[in-house]
Amino acid sequence: MSAGDWSSDEDLAPDYVPYSERREWADVTPLEQDDGQFPVVLIAYSEKFKDVYNYFRAILSKEEKSLRALELTKDALRLNAANYTVWQYRRDIIHALNLDLENELNYSEDVIIDNPKNYQVWHHRRVIVEWMNDASKELKLTEAVLMLDAKNYHAWQHRQWAIKTYNLFDDELVYVDRLISDDVRNNSAWNQRIFVLKHTGFTPEVLQREINYVMNRIRLVKNNESTWNFLRGVLQEGDGTLDQYPEVVEFCEELYASGVRTPFLMSFLIDMYEEKCLRSDCDSDGYDKEDLSKKVLEYCKLMATDYDKIREKYWNYVAGNFKSQWTKSQQNANKKSTENAEQEPLSAV
Amino acid sequence: MMGNPQDELHKEKHAKYFVRFLKLLPARLSSHDSTRVTIAFFAVCGLDVLESLDLLSDETKKEIIDWVYSYQIVPSETGPKTGGFVGSSTLNITNSDANCGTHRYKWGHLAMTYTGIAILVTLGDDLSRLNRKAIVEGVAAVQRPDGSFSATVEGSEHDMRFVYCATAICAMIDEWGDVNKETLAQYIRNSLRYDYGVSQHFEMESHGGTTYCAIAALFLTDQLSILTTKEIEKIKRWLVFRQVDGFNGRPNKPVDTCYSFWIGATLKILDAFELTNYSENRSYVMSTQNIVVGGFGKWTGSSADPFHTYFSLCGLSFINERGLGKIMPSLNISMRAYNQLKERHKAWQLENNFDEVRLDID
Repeated sequence: MSAGDWSSDEDLAPDYVPYSERREWADVTPLEQDDGQFPVVLIAYSEKFKDVYNYFRAILSKEEKSLRALELTKDALRLNAANYTVWQYRRDIIHALNLDLENELNYSEDVIIDNPKNYQVWHHRRVIVEWMNDASKELKLTEAVLMLDAKNYHAWQHRQWAIKTYNLFDDELVYVDRLISDDVRNNSAWNQRIFVLKHTGFTPEVLQREINYVMNRIRLVKNNESTWNFLRGVLQEGDGTLDQYPEVVEFCEELYASGVRTPFLMSFLIDMYEEKCLRSDCDSDGYDKEDLSKKVLEYCKLMATDYDKIREKYWNYVAGNFKSQWTKSQQNANKKSTENAEQEPLSAV
Repeated sequence: MMGNPQDELHKEKHAKYFVRFLKLLPARLSSHDSTRVTIAFFAVCGLDVLESLDLLSDETKKEIIDWVYSYQIVPSETGPKTGGFVGSSTLNITNSDANCGTHRYKWGHLAMTYTGIAILVTLGDDLSRLNRKAIVEGVAAVQRPDGSFSATVEGSEHDMRFVYCATAICAMIDEWGDVNKETLAQYIRNSLRYDYGVSQHFEMESHGGTTYCAIAALFLTDQLSILTTKEIEKIKRWLVFRQVDGFNGRPNKPVDTCYSFWIGATLKILDAFELTNYSENRSYVMSTQNIVVGGFGKWTGSSADPFHTYFSLCGLSFINERGLGKIMPSLNISMRAYNQLKERHKAWQLENNFDEVRLDID
């Protein structure tokens, strides 16, 4: 095998010497992969890939747990970081030899930076952190990854796990606030905000503060699904209704009056008016339910024809659903009032 | 060269594209070495959607079936419950004895088991060589106390993806064993987010792929009724709002062809797919079609891969593209294959009844 065969492969160091030519590996017989008689989805493995995995199979078959085996797993993972068996075996070696976990933490960080969307290495990281029972580096690591891609799902999942398991909530809102300032459309950051608040407690003061916080962000960018969803998320933590805060109602109606027609505002208004119409209590805050029901249908129609045409069929469907519920509630209301009228003479007796 | 949205579907090109992947992958795809079965799944099921399985000779089909079975792990009665399928032959060694260390690390993996069985079903195998008992025990063995599932008995993360794989496997082999459907449903409910998408795990961000996993799993376990009508309507809202022209997987993320499947299939399960805009969806997917070498990419201008090619075709099937077979949305196999599978289930049930009668006589 000539040196030229190796130089084209960039995954390993340029001075890479095949395991089959290394003196310290001379005692090991490499084991070829048996791909069966009629392999499907055959991979044209490079010579290097074959060499490394031939020795990995040899080590695994003997279950040799040694420092050289640990080094070998590094090469195997560099060629395929998604091989969960290699990761598992690497952990088994570390465990058996009782190796320094700090080194392993640094190694996993290097691999994560190179493969930030690889499930296996994030899992490995988590196991090492659990073994060390020390998550002091996790926030910094995930911040480094999120700096490159602020919506990396793996990084967020690891971060949430570390925060929840090791109670690292203290400064998280500050971090989330920074990400939202960088990009008000970062849905991952808004989700993280809900996550933090849910654990630290949605007190009435927090609810009020968050309502103001998100309304300010909506003022800046009105057409943003993330902020509107967050607003709904906060309201769910209160009494659940969309009109529980008069300032929110006022805010939305003012936006509408000023000509804003983003689908997120419109759907908020549609849902809020629908709620008011169908609510069984008589309280409609000075709104006339009949008027409101017309508004719901009118807004749905506007969505279908003008402001959210791609969801035309959906808004017609929403209007249809509302109409049947509205009719039913009207009938119930009529029935109730007739019953009450009939009962009155009896109760007088 | 990329296609125009107005282009026709280049069926033959895509079929040939899949056939190539069934044969040989270049070295640069070695990072897929542990998951070769999933690539075979995209290729075989992709050919099925294209109604082009006859491009594979009966002999080739048999070879693929044998190859999949060669990855089945049947554990010993006393050892860990590792039943299921592995995704590749990476750990296979000629003439290794049972004590060889490589055997101790061969564990069924839920995603490989799911896609492996789906390939067998799609190719019309009679499934007689499946060790259904070992498989269902393997599935139950990786369920966590929180109701979720890991991929393997050791060394794996646990999340919504494997919840789906577990239910799809059990639904296909028609065995649920000790799988706890109640905690499974509870896990899904606990991962329903404030915006009414479902996350990969508890309080993570709502995601199109995991919302599919969750809703399909509830459907397959016959537990959609844990969600109220109001909740279902809100989930539909989150789903239809994913449409931009194609679909995205999270609010404020770019569209990607695979979500024409994930979002489309979820809406199909909820009987609300017709609320989406078909022509915009089609235009986007077709704009990623490679009309020279075949295949679809995730974005307009990005290179094709089997994953996005398969899901693009499924997405097009949902909007009734001519020349494509129908998809069974919750199992992610063709309706044709699904109907065949139902016949297989009937036969198994008859066998079971027969066994019970025999037991009664004893």
